[in-house]
Amino acid sequence: MIYNPTQVKIAKVSKQTADDYIITINKNMKVEPGQFLQVSLPGLGEAPISVCNYGDKFLEFNVRTVGNLTRNLCMLKPGDAIGIRGPYGNGYQLEKYKGNHVVVIGGGTGVAPIRAVLKYIEKHRKDFNDVHVFLGFRSPNDIIFKKDIQAWKKMFDFNLTLDKGDKNWKGKVGLITKIIDESGLNNDNKIVFMCGPPIMMKFVGQSLNKLGFHNDQIIVSLERHMKCGLGRCGHCMVHGSYVCKDGPVYQWGKVKDLKE
Amino acid sequence: MQGKLLKKEGLRDFLQHLMKKAELVAPVKTDTLRFQTINNPEEVCLEGLPIMPIKKYYLEHKHTILNFKGTQIRVNNPAPKKRIIFGVRLCDLNAIPVLDKLFLEENPDPYYQSTRDNTVLVGWHCDKPVDEYCFCESMELKPFYDLYIYEVADSYFIAIGSKKGADLVKHLPSFEYEPTRIKCSKKLEKKDLNRFLENPTWKEASKDCLSCGPCTNYCPTCLCFDIEDEVELDGKTGERKLHWDSCQYKDFTLVAGGFAFRQTKADRFRHRIFHKIQYFKDKFGIYMCTGCGRCIRWCPTRIDFVEIINRLR
Repeated sequence: MIYNPTQVKIAKVSKQTADDYIITINKNMKVEPGQFLQVSLPGLGEAPISVCNYGDKFLEFNVRTVGNLTRNLCMLKPGDAIGIRGPYGNGYQLEKYKGNHVVVIGGGTGVAPIRAVLKYIEKHRKDFNDVHVFLGFRSPNDIIFKKDIQAWKKMFDFNLTLDKGDKNWKGKVGLITKIIDESGLNNDNKIVFMCGPPIMMKFVGQSLNKLGFHNDQIIVSLERHMKCGLGRCGHCMVHGSYVCKDGPVYQWGKVKDLKE
Repeated sequence: MQGKLLKKEGLRDFLQHLMKKAELVAPVKTDTLRFQTINNPEEVCLEGLPIMPIKKYYLEHKHTILNFKGTQIRVNNPAPKKRIIFGVRLCDLNAIPVLDKLFLEENPDPYYQSTRDNTVLVGWHCDKPVDEYCFCESMELKPFYDLYIYEVADSYFIAIGSKKGADLVKHLPSFEYEPTRIKCSKKLEKKDLNRFLENPTWKEASKDCLSCGPCTNYCPTCLCFDIEDEVELDGKTGERKLHWDSCQYKDFTLVAGGFAFRQTKADRFRHRIFHKIQYFKDKFGIYMCTGCGRCIRWCPTRIDFVEIINRLR
């Protein structure tokens, strides 16, 4: 039945920050970066959560404890059951962009679907040329996927900035647009994959345009309130498009000036 | 047009004949005019437009999709019920093809499908608008029904739209009749609304909007819904329910973290009108509005979107 979740057992819950946890389930599911699942617990309802990594036998998603359901999800232990339905949405469809240089940009919790993009690139490294990564977080305590970041630093042209550092922070401080402006990137054979808060994407879009990127070279994922996942219940609709079904991944040019 | 003839004095017997076939639903004058189950043919009232359209039978106001106890989950499968809905106006009939687009074409909704399969629609022709809010003539309505009844002098002419309908009138004599089309004084001007996306009209027009939702609740084609869990006091037993929602509520677009994408009344008002008149038509070729006028008739501040669109220049 279309609204019926599949019950799966949690394999691992791994704390990332005070508010973020990666939940791993042992499940083989045909999924791609940018897609999301409706994750649920009986009595607490459902929430759309994007896939942040997957393999033949497992699937991971990053949960941020912002509400009742997500707080309870993160308190679960291996062996506990959760409900999932999906995957929903179109995804980044990375296989379409083989042979390109790739620019990957993520901000805050928006780094979750971006991790799935980078994990895909890791697995299909030969299919892509240069990989430039730009991530932004609020503070040192908000950095998620620290282990991956160590690996990405070695693998890719990797850049990370914080809105605000602390006394131990030796990396860059400032808005993500700053490190993109200073990167000196050109748009030759490049494709950009981006996810982050609406305000960040707006200004990063402008920075990329200044560097010569066309809007059809920039692929973004939008956040909306997605309830049914089937392009029906109406919550995620924006200017006639159901973000849960027609999106959440769009060409920047198609959504940058959208009127809600 | 070929159809069947029913003498006016035979209507009572015809209704009784329908009652033997299935649950019969028709407009009944209670506190107001409502579609409800008929126990006696005398209850049927064919004057006026019922306050709530027939969508309440296709997408119930609130219905259970799952039952749970702890982590045990049981799907609540649809319970098919044979039903004949009698006295449905062309505006309300035309809502069904709209709902079909979203509930049947991809990933069919089993509850909707079950109602669709088990319902017979008997339409009732309006030879004139029910009141000054009707504008169905502008909405390119199609003949969509199992049976459709026209009043012709001392008789009724019954047009047949399906095999399900034909089976109910086999006993009646054949008749030929050329029906006339309704004329409405209220008209919606056809415009490409995309040209008016940034028009100040939306802000002005929604000034009196209360974000209260009758425009969507009473709309025959509005189908937005939410999915929520209801839990008993034991904290374990409960139901996951699907219930109507409204794009006019501020929290409709609210995401985790507290941001709502359509913050203002103007945004929400424009979204409703664009969905009805522009987006759906662009995508599916039919309007998501059938001209019943309920969103104007039942708006507490009588915001008239037809007037508003007509004024756009």
